[in-house]
Amino acid sequence: MKSNFDPTTLEIYRALFTSVAEEMGVALRRTAFSPNIKERRDYSCAVFDAQGRVIAQGDHMPVHLGSMPMAVAAALEQIELAPGDVVALNDPFAGGTHLPDVTLVMPVVSKQRKLFYVANRAHHADIGGATPGSMGLATDIYGEGLRIPPIRLVRNGTLDADTMRLLLANVRGNVERRGDFDAQIGSLKTGATRLLEIIERRGEREAVEYASQLIDYSARLMRYTIAAIPDGSYGAEDFLDDDGVDDRAVLIKVRIVVKGEQALVDFTGSAPQVTGAINAVEAITVSAVSYVFRCLVGGEVPASAGLMAPIEVIAPRGTVVNANPPASVAGGNVETSQRIVDVLFRALANALPDRIPAASQGTMNNLTIGGIDTRNGQEFSYYETVAGGMGARPALEGMNGVHTHMTNSLNTPAEAI
Amino acid sequence: MVSRQPIRIGVDTGGTFTDFVFERDGRVELFKLPSTPSDPSLAIQEGLNRICADTGSELDHIEVVHGTTVGTNALLQRKGARIALVTTAGFEDVLAIGRQARPELYNLNAIKPPPLVADELRLGVAERVVASGEVLEPLYERDLKNLVRKLKQAGVEAVAVSLLFSFLHPEHEERIASALASLDVPLSISSRIHPEYREYERTSTVVINAYLQPLMGRYLQRLSKQQGTQLNLRVMQSSGGSISADVAAIEPVRTILSGPSGGVVGALRAAHSAGLQNVITFDMGGTSTDVALCDSGAIRTTNEATVAGLPVAVSVMDIHTVGAGGGSIARVDEGGSLRVGPESAGADPGPACYGRSLLPTVTDAHVVLGHFGGAGLLGGEFKLDEKRAREAMSGLANDLGRVSGKRCSVIAAAEGVLSVANTNMERALRHISVERGHDPRQFALLPFGGAGGLHAVDLARALRIPTIIAPTAPGALSAVGVLVADVIKDQSRTVMFTYAAKEIAKLGSVFREMEKEATTVLRGEGFSRSKQRHERSLAMRYRGQSFELEIPETSGDLATAFHRAHLERYGYAQEHSEIEIVSARLRSFGLVEKLAQTRIGASRQRRKTKPHHEVTAHIDGRKATVGLYKRNELLAGAKLQTPCIVTEYSATTLIPSDAHARVDQFGNLLIEI
Repeated sequence: MKSNFDPTTLEIYRALFTSVAEEMGVALRRTAFSPNIKERRDYSCAVFDAQGRVIAQGDHMPVHLGSMPMAVAAALEQIELAPGDVVALNDPFAGGTHLPDVTLVMPVVSKQRKLFYVANRAHHADIGGATPGSMGLATDIYGEGLRIPPIRLVRNGTLDADTMRLLLANVRGNVERRGDFDAQIGSLKTGATRLLEIIERRGEREAVEYASQLIDYSARLMRYTIAAIPDGSYGAEDFLDDDGVDDRAVLIKVRIVVKGEQALVDFTGSAPQVTGAINAVEAITVSAVSYVFRCLVGGEVPASAGLMAPIEVIAPRGTVVNANPPASVAGGNVETSQRIVDVLFRALANALPDRIPAASQGTMNNLTIGGIDTRNGQEFSYYETVAGGMGARPALEGMNGVHTHMTNSLNTPAEAI
Repeated sequence: MVSRQPIRIGVDTGGTFTDFVFERDGRVELFKLPSTPSDPSLAIQEGLNRICADTGSELDHIEVVHGTTVGTNALLQRKGARIALVTTAGFEDVLAIGRQARPELYNLNAIKPPPLVADELRLGVAERVVASGEVLEPLYERDLKNLVRKLKQAGVEAVAVSLLFSFLHPEHEERIASALASLDVPLSISSRIHPEYREYERTSTVVINAYLQPLMGRYLQRLSKQQGTQLNLRVMQSSGGSISADVAAIEPVRTILSGPSGGVVGALRAAHSAGLQNVITFDMGGTSTDVALCDSGAIRTTNEATVAGLPVAVSVMDIHTVGAGGGSIARVDEGGSLRVGPESAGADPGPACYGRSLLPTVTDAHVVLGHFGGAGLLGGEFKLDEKRAREAMSGLANDLGRVSGKRCSVIAAAEGVLSVANTNMERALRHISVERGHDPRQFALLPFGGAGGLHAVDLARALRIPTIIAPTAPGALSAVGVLVADVIKDQSRTVMFTYAAKEIAKLGSVFREMEKEATTVLRGEGFSRSKQRHERSLAMRYRGQSFELEIPETSGDLATAFHRAHLERYGYAQEHSEIEIVSARLRSFGLVEKLAQTRIGASRQRRKTKPHHEVTAHIDGRKATVGLYKRNELLAGAKLQTPCIVTEYSATTLIPSDAHARVDQFGNLLIEI
């Protein structure tokens, strides 16, 4: 191992960048309006370098782990961000996951140069569409709600009131939505302020250099982890019962090829995309792979772009693991992602029988309720996911009443709904 | 017998020592005895007998205030009582499910600790109160009879009762309490202990209370009946004030952070003596570090604490703990990063310099860099093995050299360990300051514990804290704090209205009612009106939020004050949004006689004081000859030559060349950077 870095400085930046993401999370949770964000903590915050590569992410939602970077990539590709701009997006076919997850991205600018980006993603309790909660049985993306390609929500520090009006006119419970957007923007500002302080204190060159070093560091840890898996080709498959529209089982199939420090994860052979809303977009599938390998690393690792460097994912287009528009995708994020994880673990169990748990509940048990509150005539919508069981471990019982794998959202207290 | 003021004694039970502080003839005296972990009351009894013998007092003529870890330890070690929980039918598993999240996201072998109440002892009763406070389903008498029968058979030692929405309609819980009275075991009723929303957190709080009641009751009973005499005993509560032993026995959950909160009160007293109001306390020990923030001379409390992995929703001092201390072990991980902790060498085998291991720790880094001035610990009683420290650190230096491809010296390795340790502790300090909207530049840093002074300057620089105050007797700060802590009674009334002038007007009577109640209680405890103080505040939020900010009631226009507080804490205010006032809170103090501040002898020198002797040490990346001062030889007004090391019985302070250090009239060491 020969690399031009100082181990002490590396460790310091690991802590610094991670704490920026965590502080953003605290700010978001404390100021959000909807129970889904403030009580259930269904959000993630992350820091990116100037190329849009993720450097650090708070320990928030695993399903956002691999998918946030794709959202930032899409935002940077489509919009030339100026200082003070904030881009919003939720389009699952342009870096999003499902419509309720809205991602905001902001550049961090020092001396007219964009050195970093900060981003956060929050699950909004409603984003329009046919059913309250925007998680219904739609058969295309248009029925699921408002699709937001990367657009500027804030221009040069000023909220774009026209855009905000358009957004709010298309969602239920718009006072709550507005409050949540404000909280997201406030959280980005918190992150940017912190990064600028770090730059001021330690110097721009070092901060930028060690952002890059952190990515290499995660990559080294992942290569070390993969090298410890016996070389070979490990396959597994499993099904989702049906897609909610007809009753055919939906196949998810994977083959993991481990060779030295590299892994290839190939989903070829998985079912074609379906009519119902359980299609996963590529970002979800990459997230699931990212989560599974992250678990194998063990210990604290920065959730940086380096984690996926030694891993190649093949998710054929037009399948249930990489749907094309205009497929409906609301459940891909919350149902299919969990089954993908179970299938990946099943494959890896062939390689690492002493480390891999049995399948878990394989779902997040989504529940949405909404309508008109008869007491005051106001619209409301409410979203919950219900925990279940975690599969038994080789030397330990499983756990019950706990969220597994791709989610870790809290339940809403009955007394807080 | 001559009538005179009773002797007041502060007692703090620690893991190794039990500290005693008392005042005699206007002088504060303190001593330590070895703790007796199997029954902490034994050491206390010995200490009290000694004080009585020394001062010619009788046991019935002393007042004892006690900081205890009995509750915390029972919870950490899961050695509490066999208890039952009565809850609304259908909600028996709220305690087991919790908030359904797992603590470690990526650990496939995580273990979820079982709830404090066994599955078969979580009993549901049919009843339902809804969010408006109305009764949807009544509580039936026949169910109560069944419940009592079941609990009798089960033979439980205490019972917790927590029904849904009990804070809006306590009657059902009260009826259950009456029915359970025949069991003759302690009861913990949620609407009495913590009448606030969030069923899991409230239930967890009363369950912890029930779990500790039998044990704490017996302990306090044993302690207050000293050799046939009834002792005047008070217990430090987690929120920074003391409560009577009787209250502590009924609501032991309030004492869960009794010891650490004494430390913060003691630290705050030292800060006040130096004329400082805003301080961040920094207590660094062997395995962990506790930090807390006090602004405007007041202690901050939280209702969102977690102890032993379980939520405690009653008011607790806002102390943040991180697993980083002198014993934290340094290593290079597989990716080539220098990690320090959370693994700790503890006291056994301890850091390499303790002579029993070769684990490179934070303490070893200080030894290698010469920061102890070759003096050892505990005033030289405890020798440090420098050779071993160097050997351990040299192993780490080899690892560092291997990953970076550049040779790494032992000194550079030790400096690296300290930089990383400081970064971890800086995170803890940021967590309680910046993340909560406080600007560290407006605070002083107050280090205590054995290692606090070794890291204080570096941390203060990182956070731009201008002043450090190293208090006198940092080893006995908790016992002092326990002794000087005021008696505190907290009350809260949920009012829940939208901000408007006519609603504000109603607050007056709500506060007056609470003050009346507090006044009566405090008078009963011997505090006349002039020895009482009441602080009013309001829990406010924007309509739609679910976390409140606490705004003092006296701060003029409440809406403006709230917008400003929100802006400070979260970076924005929504001046056009509706504001809700969720509850009116009253904190009432019974003001305890202040301890005399002992002035130390003054220095007549105008020039800087000469150090005791000189040593070689590495400070700020440079090897230099630095002065070593002995703390107990320093006089008031003394100015120190920097860089220097100040040693004392239980602590060491490191002062670099660009800092100014002087001693104030009470012996506090003030460092300006």
